[in-house]
Amino acid sequence: MTDALNAPAQGQVTFEELAGLMKARAGLTVDPARMAADPSTTFEELSLDSLGLLGIVAELENRYGCRIGEEAETCRTPHAFLANVNAQLANHR
Amino acid sequence: MSGSRARRQAVVTGLGVVAPNGVGTEAFWKAVQQGEFVLGPVTREGCTELPLKVAGEVAGFDPADLVEDRFLVQTDRFTHFAMAAADMALDEAHLATDPESPFAIGVVTAAGSGGGEFGQRELQELWGRGPQFVGPYQSIAWFYAASTGQISIRGGFQGPCGVLCDDEAGGLDVFAHAARAIARGTDAMVAGATEAPLAPYSAVCQLGYRELSLAERPRGAYLPFTADACGFAPAEGGAMFVVEEAEAARRRGAPVRAEVAGHAATFTGTRDWADSREGLARAAKAALAEAGCAPEEVDVVFADALGVPAADQAEALAISDALGRRAASVPVTAPKTGFGRAYAAAAALDAAAAVLALEHGVVPPTPNVAEVRHDLDVVTGEARSAPLRTALVLGRGLMGCNAALVLRRAGDGPH
Repeated sequence: MTDALNAPAQGQVTFEELAGLMKARAGLTVDPARMAADPSTTFEELSLDSLGLLGIVAELENRYGCRIGEEAETCRTPHAFLANVNAQLANHR
Repeated sequence: MSGSRARRQAVVTGLGVVAPNGVGTEAFWKAVQQGEFVLGPVTREGCTELPLKVAGEVAGFDPADLVEDRFLVQTDRFTHFAMAAADMALDEAHLATDPESPFAIGVVTAAGSGGGEFGQRELQELWGRGPQFVGPYQSIAWFYAASTGQISIRGGFQGPCGVLCDDEAGGLDVFAHAARAIARGTDAMVAGATEAPLAPYSAVCQLGYRELSLAERPRGAYLPFTADACGFAPAEGGAMFVVEEAEAARRRGAPVRAEVAGHAATFTGTRDWADSREGLARAAKAALAEAGCAPEEVDVVFADALGVPAADQAEALAISDALGRRAASVPVTAPKTGFGRAYAAAAALDAAAAVLALEHGVVPPTPNVAEVRHDLDVVTGEARSAPLRTALVLGRGLMGCNAALVLRRAGDGPH
């Protein structure tokens, strides 16, 4: 789990895909490039609440056919979230 | 309650309306004053094959024009109505939260139907595709409390918040709730009721109400106080208000639209509509007593007008019990016969019409109603101009709640 949190955000799920999910599941318009450029930006600053993040996790699970561990839902930043999710997806394959 | 209310008087400083006969206060009042008739066939998706044929649908309302996407995706249509109407009311009152004192403004709404459309969509995902396809916002969107919560979050209103799930009467009871919060020290309350019951699941639930009109012709569906009364036609939409402490409104120069002068509520159960006579009369008397208003001073009555013969009879007798000799001469109106009965929001829309009637000195008509069979001066046909100081608004719920609200024209204190 420590590895997953420290891993870089690059991986199967991109910032573009995350931004698309934030739009579809939580009604938020977010620039993926800006999200990628600033690792310190939090979901809270982007107005994504915990239920919104939960919906995104569920959608990713459905898309990739893989259960995503609960710690992903507790990530505070998009960078930490993608690092966690992508590490889990990589392990799954 | 009256002691503290005398010190901290609640007044209306803004109203917002989303109704089948108009979106926005101006459009609504124009239609109400002209007695416009907009009941029509039910056209909402999934509702057209039901035994319910006639309703008042809100047309020309695009929530995306009025409310941000992030609030729309997590809410049902009834909350879309509430957020839009609350915005209108706050705009009219020129009121927004003060970051220095976010606890000065609270929110109270009433709802009887909840977020049926949103809930149905998610439950269809549950049984159609599986639990992993149910969105997390289902947990909050269907719930009666959703509108209060979202208005509070969106506006940053951290004062006392409440939700009333007590039937149609809730649309009047929110004024009492707001006045009480104001008496206890809150500066302003965003208060009102909206409903969106015209969705398949919600509509099917209503088919169990014996009072629901299943008439096929819009003109024959909702005819309270007449020999042809055959139940009520449902509607969607609602009204939100800014209810404010009079002195706080004066300090910031906000125009007072009306005073919340008195309110009372009773409960008479569902056994027999005849029982509502005593409950409604007691509510009206107590509301008038709180307002310090004699029966002769009531200038207009906004009737509950259920459209069921026994209920109409009970209401006519209740008005007589409460107002005595004044009952035969006071103008009685029910603008909702033009657009339907939107459950808890019906009473809130009546309160909106009452505030506007007091402001304009006009008693709006009861559209589509002609031959009144009760000993009441029901205003039919054209609107009537008259100096209006005091309005009595009556509401009854299908589950036995009764309420009465007394609104007084701004600046006309007790006599």
